[in-house]
Amino acid sequence: MKHITLFYLLLLFGSVAIAQTATDSIQQLDEVILSDVKLRRYNNGYKLTILGDSILRKNNSSLTDVLRFNSNIYFRENGYGMVSSPSFRGTNASQTAVVWNGININSQLNGQVDFNTISSSNYNTISIRSGGGSVQYGSGAIGGTIHLSNNLDFDTHFNHSVQLGLGSFETKNARYNTSFGNGTWSGSLGVAYVDSDNDYKFLGTDRRNENGAFNNLDLNLNLGYIISAKDVVKLFHQNFRNDREFSSTLLAPSNSKYESQDYRSMLEWIHIENTYTSSLKAVHLLEQFKYFENKDLNNFSEGHANTWLLKHHYKRHFSKRLTLSVITDYSYSTAEGNSFANPKRNAFSATAIVSHRPSEKVQYNVNVRKDVISDFKSPLVFSGDLSYQLVKPYTIKFNASKNFRVPTFNDLYWNPGGNLDLEPEESYQLDLGHELKFKNIAFKLNTFYIETSDLIQWRPNTISGYWNPVNIANAKQYGLEAELGMTKQLEKHILFLSTSYSYTETEDVEKNQRLFYVPVHKANMSLSYNYKAFTAFYQHLYNGEVEIIGDTLDGFDIGNLGVSYTINTKKELSYIADFRINNIYNTYYENVALRPMPNRNFNIKLTLKF
Amino acid sequence: MTTKKLALFFLSITLIFTSCSNDDDTTPALPLGDYENGILISHEGNFGQGNASVSFVSYDLMTTENGIFNAVNSSPLGDTAQSIAFNGNFAYIVLNVSNTIEIVNRYTFESVGTISTGLNNPRHIAFANGKGFVTNWGDGTVTTDDYLAIIDLSTNMLDAQTISVEEGPEEIVADGNQLYVAHQGGFSQNNIVSVVDASSNMVTATITVGDVPNTLQLDASGNLWVLSEGKPAWTGDETGGMLSKINTSNNSVTSFDFGTSEHPNYLAEENGTLYYYMAGSVYKMDSSASTLPTSAEFAGVNFYGMTVNNSTLYGVDAVDFTSNGELYVYELNTNSLVDSVTLSIIPSGIYFN
Repeated sequence: MKHITLFYLLLLFGSVAIAQTATDSIQQLDEVILSDVKLRRYNNGYKLTILGDSILRKNNSSLTDVLRFNSNIYFRENGYGMVSSPSFRGTNASQTAVVWNGININSQLNGQVDFNTISSSNYNTISIRSGGGSVQYGSGAIGGTIHLSNNLDFDTHFNHSVQLGLGSFETKNARYNTSFGNGTWSGSLGVAYVDSDNDYKFLGTDRRNENGAFNNLDLNLNLGYIISAKDVVKLFHQNFRNDREFSSTLLAPSNSKYESQDYRSMLEWIHIENTYTSSLKAVHLLEQFKYFENKDLNNFSEGHANTWLLKHHYKRHFSKRLTLSVITDYSYSTAEGNSFANPKRNAFSATAIVSHRPSEKVQYNVNVRKDVISDFKSPLVFSGDLSYQLVKPYTIKFNASKNFRVPTFNDLYWNPGGNLDLEPEESYQLDLGHELKFKNIAFKLNTFYIETSDLIQWRPNTISGYWNPVNIANAKQYGLEAELGMTKQLEKHILFLSTSYSYTETEDVEKNQRLFYVPVHKANMSLSYNYKAFTAFYQHLYNGEVEIIGDTLDGFDIGNLGVSYTINTKKELSYIADFRINNIYNTYYENVALRPMPNRNFNIKLTLKF
Repeated sequence: MTTKKLALFFLSITLIFTSCSNDDDTTPALPLGDYENGILISHEGNFGQGNASVSFVSYDLMTTENGIFNAVNSSPLGDTAQSIAFNGNFAYIVLNVSNTIEIVNRYTFESVGTISTGLNNPRHIAFANGKGFVTNWGDGTVTTDDYLAIIDLSTNMLDAQTISVEEGPEEIVADGNQLYVAHQGGFSQNNIVSVVDASSNMVTATITVGDVPNTLQLDASGNLWVLSEGKPAWTGDETGGMLSKINTSNNSVTSFDFGTSEHPNYLAEENGTLYYYMAGSVYKMDSSASTLPTSAEFAGVNFYGMTVNNSTLYGVDAVDFTSNGELYVYELNTNSLVDSVTLSIIPSGIYFN
């Protein structure tokens, strides 16, 4: 590792006479490798959970499955593989932002990301940043943000990985990843395909999951080129194609289907000087869907939205302890579809971030952002966070922020109902975190409080006779999150435990009741054991009961068990065989009322690495 | 443990005594579970969420029991209860999203059978000539697949034959052997009433009425009253409501026009008087009147269903569609609110057993 760092230092700063401190060099190295540098730099007072390669590989490829078992986030999944919406700290799906390589990709149409339209296979890391992040990540970053990152490795290498998998319910998956680097060039390509009949038996009945088949293809291509010691160019592209039937419920048959495609492209130019760094990003995002009420007919409704974005990040280093960032972006979005005319939106935002580290133990960041959006007024938002290492293993973290969510194209322009008088939702929050870090044990405890006003909800309108979105509700969320990670090594036996628990109280202030579909208690645990080439793991999820309209839905406990064995050959070739049992206790459970989830099922994977 | 059992034992004895003394004090009420004498209220519930239900409210409004189908049959009713119709001892509950009709004994609410094939977006039923006729939208986005399904009432089975009709059949009423079907238009807007002969199963006439006919009422003089709400503003082609009187002997139409932005609904008729709801107000009109009423009987209500029985007006409020709804009962001689009763999620249809 040391020589790689040195290599970059030489490459990047060879021509620079003034030596930088080590910290600065690493920071500048991050600029080259990482796609979302802000995430690592200006969030010291936030809880950040990073899921790396090994965790991503262990799980099924849908982002829902990965996060359900490895984070505090709760998912409301409309039957396995169907539309999946997150609730982060008790907030709703459009209050959780998904950030792809630094860019907010929540839908312009409905403000949300369906977590079953993101494949986890082709990312190097998936990070979970808890707490409000509107200043840095824009609209919708209220409960927290999920970061999908492709990092570029310029180190000389050329790797391939091929994976084939088979599972219950005619589930087939295939994946190919390659990555190369030669010092000045870096590239990676990922192709992941999943296809499933998804016709699992409903336990305790003679029925099956009907009309639930799905397949999806994720394509990912990333390139980086170091032009000179001061300039780097990067290209990121992602395309997700999803073809899903929408499954029946226990009481409502269905023969509908939904096809969607997302295209995301970004070109980035980074210029690095001793005293400043500049990054210019040009981004294009396209989302499109077709909904077929009857999959056998060629009748469908459709919609698509395009976003063009230019983003500039200028970072000035006043000293190795003080930096100022100024981020400006301009975006232009349009949409077209059956239910709206041709809405357009121009948006401009300016953000300033001051990051200061007065001593080795204290770091704080102050952020301010103002958006100017063509179709409504947007509030000034701000945030501040602080990290203070009181004694060696103990760090206290604190952040406070004001966040917002803008009305979506659907809210404003949907016909019938769209309401042009909507205001953005506004939210204030506080988060206090404690981190204890020993050599083999890490413990995090966070308490949070979120208050959101002017929540946009669709309500029936007595006068017009149809539904309208209105700024009507107020909500409060508060609670506690705990995370524990532990590693124990005895000679060649390695035991790793990771567990998290969340307690979330929510209140619909107007109705004085809990919000729907937010469990008060949620816990998960993952235990893995490794001995030489052999690995075994067990995952457990406890999802407490949730309030639903007019009722409550029972909680559930489910467990997954897996083993894998790696065979290394003498050449640079290794085989990994994975076997996994999902829902080992064969538990009947519903994640959304009347939509039973899969019974016990099996999955086998073979991976070739060379 | 023993003390706990003992306590329970005494508690149950006390309960028996209290309930006995209550019975002695008051006139015997109908035991819950017998729905012979009261109001049945169908609840759509939320679309796709399977929380449709039926509530029972006694005529004196003293007893309310929500979710009676689930309670009696220990199983959920289905998704989106669109309407209920009675024939003999049976009640037919049409479940729009489940594509089923649940047949129950109307007095005990015990399930008698379920029709679960041959329906596609079923809406309402009427009975004639020993058969039940069910309006079906077919696929919402297809304008040419709408039909009436036919139930053989001797077996409660669906006939293989269907009657193809125009787009968006909604309410249906039977006048002897003639069926009248209001074509609201499904996902779009239609403006006709079709006449179907219950013996030949043929559409015999099509009568043009206002846009989006939502309710049908037959009166004692052989007139069919059709209330149309007009096209909503969002279509970009807003039209006002229309009240049409169809003389069933010759299908001749007399009509009354509402203003372009007026969209009435829930027509009720009793003893020659018509009632309807419009934008939070209830209007009353004599069936012999030559113009529409200009002032409301009372205002400030929010109804998702309304009807009149025995000089009493019953209206249901679905509130915000996620909270429990309310039944409001008005005495029509004085237009005064008698009482209100809390129901379940999205009440819409009111029926008298």
